[in-house]
Amino acid sequence: MPFDTILVANRGEIALRVIRTCKEMGIRTVAVHSTADKDGAHVRAADAAVQIGPGAPRKSYLSAPAVIEAALSTGAQAVHPGYGFLSEDPDFAEICADNGLVFIGPRPEVLSRLGDKAVARELMTDAGLPVLPGSPGTVDSAAEAADLAARIGFPLIIKAAAGGGGRGMTVVRQPSELLPAYRQTRATAQAVFGDNRVYLERFCDSARHIEVQVLADGHGAVLHLGERDCSVQRRHQKLIEESPGPGLHKELTAAMARAAVRGARAVGYTGAGTFEFLVHDEGFSFMEMNCRIQVEHPVTEAVFGVDLVREQIQVAAGEELRFTQDDLQPRGAAVECRVNAEDPARDFAPSPGTLEQFVPPGGPFVRVDTHGYAGWRVPSHYDSLLAKVITWAPDRDRALDRMDRALAEFRISGPGVHTTIPLLRDVLADPAFRDGKHDTSFLDTRR
Amino acid sequence: MIRQNGHNGRRGHNGNGNGSRYYGERPMSEVTKESLRTAPTDDPLAGLDYDTSALALTDICRSIADVVRVGAGHPRRVRVTLGAASVEVEWDEQQQTAATAREPATLDRIEDTVQGHHECAPLVGTYYVAPSPGAPPFVRPGDRVEVGQQLGIIEAMKLMNPLEATRAGRVVEVLVADGTPVEYGQPLVLVDPEEPAGGAGED
Repeated sequence: MPFDTILVANRGEIALRVIRTCKEMGIRTVAVHSTADKDGAHVRAADAAVQIGPGAPRKSYLSAPAVIEAALSTGAQAVHPGYGFLSEDPDFAEICADNGLVFIGPRPEVLSRLGDKAVARELMTDAGLPVLPGSPGTVDSAAEAADLAARIGFPLIIKAAAGGGGRGMTVVRQPSELLPAYRQTRATAQAVFGDNRVYLERFCDSARHIEVQVLADGHGAVLHLGERDCSVQRRHQKLIEESPGPGLHKELTAAMARAAVRGARAVGYTGAGTFEFLVHDEGFSFMEMNCRIQVEHPVTEAVFGVDLVREQIQVAAGEELRFTQDDLQPRGAAVECRVNAEDPARDFAPSPGTLEQFVPPGGPFVRVDTHGYAGWRVPSHYDSLLAKVITWAPDRDRALDRMDRALAEFRISGPGVHTTIPLLRDVLADPAFRDGKHDTSFLDTRR
Repeated sequence: MIRQNGHNGRRGHNGNGNGSRYYGERPMSEVTKESLRTAPTDDPLAGLDYDTSALALTDICRSIADVVRVGAGHPRRVRVTLGAASVEVEWDEQQQTAATAREPATLDRIEDTVQGHHECAPLVGTYYVAPSPGAPPFVRPGDRVEVGQQLGIIEAMKLMNPLEATRAGRVVEVLVADGTPVEYGQPLVLVDPEEPAGGAGED
């Protein structure tokens, strides 16, 4: 047993998902929660729970001292950060180490370098990965922005160096929009990430978002677990993800996988991570790396039969991966739909409320990762993800049919509660999506 | 206290809607949940968890006080049963008038003693009752405290954070032992607050 107690520094479905794997490994779990989450499913599932602060994330799930104190007082040896919150915070990873706790993720210095998107772009360029034309580093003046934009061409995208989660990005289509967008993005980046540095990159209108899952131990093994297609997005937020990516040539996906492995090796990456690429007319380009477990990791687990969280824990404990690249053979197709508590009639604003009825679907090859249950009040402090439904089948068509069946079964209701299920089912029925001909602009241009 | 195994050990504190008044910082939602769970039965007390006998007794005493106040004349004997606990009160013929007159103050004192005012942990850490090991504690039961007076220390990330009184009053009980890990919002010191402006004073 690598650790006897792990603290899960997260909430919602991902905290529950990590706790479940820990239980299977015979590891005791400690949940942390805010006052708003004291009835949370993860609190009930864990062996112990510590209330770490009020509902506002900044004072609870983002409070490194509160999490560390909770870990120390409960005898945890390791901290699993899940995704979001403290998961990619190099300072938190370092504070863990300073307090004798194992941070389940890459080393702090790796997090620090890859967390700066502009630096990551340079590192991967040096490692030989293709990137889109863009600024060599961050752009620190309006004059520099104008000069670079003329060379990159339009449309281009301004991105926050500290950005992530689809925020802090502005697409610029004409030279006249550049300076207002530059100033606006810097202001947003400052407000949201506390860091106003931005960089420029060529923007592709009809591109696909394809990412590659990697897994690396500290003993020289760097493996990939194929790709995921995350092109169904609404305002840069993923809604449907699948593996393998439909209609992609084997040579292309193999080249992307090799690039991801090369990139991970170049930066000394350890644990589970994801390389995000754009696939466009001229090939593929590196976008950024996510140094954590991802929301959509279950589709990869479904086609490869690997529990990625278990691997994360074992790698963090210093163990070697127990399989080789040849052992990793994908089977069939898997798709994930994100069921969010959002109101389509109010421009997809989060719709918190009490879940009076909550009956997840079941049946063969259906996995539901959710923290929801009947009677639970969805707090308004956090993101709107309510459940992830994952289906597997021998081929994509049957996986999609199965998904539609599962979503039709899903019963969620309560006063003021709306979900993305109708929208998801619309997309599943859309011929462009069915044919795998969709790109990242698919949802935003569809109606 | 750091709870072992999530929800276990929490239910006892929330006997019913009244119970939550004594634990003001215990949110109402949990109480509602308990009430919902017991709703289908006809017995309003079914499923109520009165393992905290002090709470049951307090509820009974309050019920007795209510009966005494509502009744036209003063009763000679009142008996209230709640779960396994039961209290019977009998008044002397001669003392009846005096008892009636004193009753509101008695009720207030019961409420103040049990409800009181909890000084809660503003952060996660380790609670210390004294400025250093072996030193006398900041406060003891019976001590009078002023607003801003230090009651204890919460150590978090090697920083000593003072816990200060937010209301003036008399310390009833220090609820956690020295060196105990505490979670956010956990009640640490029970204070019997002073009446804001004299109120229904006993003197």
